[in-house]
Amino acid sequence: MKKKLMDILACPIDKHYPLELHVFAEKEEIIDGMIICTKCLRWFPIREEIPEMLPDELRDRKDEISFLKKWKEKVPKNILTNGKPFNLKIKKPK
Amino acid sequence: MKEDEIKKVVREGYAQIARRQGSCCSSKSSCCANSTQDETSKSLGYTPRDLASIPEGANLGLGCGNPVALAALKEGEVVLDLGSGGGLDCFLAAEKVGREGKIIGVDMTPEMIDKARKNARKGEYRNVEFRLGEIENLPVADETVDVIISNCVINLSPDKKRVFEEAFRVLKPGGRIMVSDIVLLKELPEAIKNSVAAYIGCLSGAIIRDDYIETIKQASFKKVEIIEETRFPIKYMNNDPTAKAVISDSKISLKEVEEIGDSVASIKVFGTKPR
Repeated sequence: MKKKLMDILACPIDKHYPLELHVFAEKEEIIDGMIICTKCLRWFPIREEIPEMLPDELRDRKDEISFLKKWKEKVPKNILTNGKPFNLKIKKPK
Repeated sequence: MKEDEIKKVVREGYAQIARRQGSCCSSKSSCCANSTQDETSKSLGYTPRDLASIPEGANLGLGCGNPVALAALKEGEVVLDLGSGGGLDCFLAAEKVGREGKIIGVDMTPEMIDKARKNARKGEYRNVEFRLGEIENLPVADETVDVIISNCVINLSPDKKRVFEEAFRVLKPGGRIMVSDIVLLKELPEAIKNSVAAYIGCLSGAIIRDDYIETIKQASFKKVEIIEETRFPIKYMNNDPTAKAVISDSKISLKEVEEIGDSVASIKVFGTKPR
């Protein structure tokens, strides 16, 4: 993903704009990172250059949790604990 | 089928198609087109030059009409493709808007996005970006897009009203939409309506033409007009993987499937967002 794309990215849920960008790994383009909606605290992963801006029900919990764990050191603290729809505090629902 | 269920089968169906290099010739599931992708595409308004200019693998033969050809794109415009698949239309649009322009493809199937991204790299397109997202919940800011294109995708959405409302929201005032899609001229038989294969094959999700146009108008679009209308070519139907899958799926006869040809049309619709 190119940084310039942030110009038109909005939260798919509440349409908040602009969103906050955190870059974890970067070459020519952003390879891994996180896009955060500061309004609803939803976070969206950038994996292998692709921003994944899916609504909650299309996201895979297991993948998302492992993403959070992988980048634990770089993800903002409030997302690790309060991020939506997944964070490292919420216990797995039965 | 419930909405969530529909989304799931559509996602899975198209993930499979992406993995198979877009060949629709597998027995169970299928897609909008058939035979060889290039042959089909030529009949849908893509010139041989269009097809030669794009990276191999970008044309999955899943469309129902070339929206880029009629969208009259200008240098520097921002274009959003709803359901970008392998990226064919994005790449063609990219040539038209030039370096200053920008193309964004949105698709909800990770396998398709992955494929499109690889194709973008192969073709060295610098002004095309793909993102995983849902067309009913566009991750795009208000009034940032000049042109929306979409090719044989909105029929797959269980909430078409929402899709057009979202499209309207992200368009700049004066922006326009050019959509190719499958619509019905009369209702389909019940057995086909309930067939998963027919859904993925862009049949059972399709709605009556006038309702489709009305949905676009309801989303506040103006100057809504059908630019082109083609009957679903019956010769494709006979040998169509969708037709075959529908037959095995819903236990109806070939004759009944052939009759569907009279009920189905592909249209290109234009609309604008007033200034």
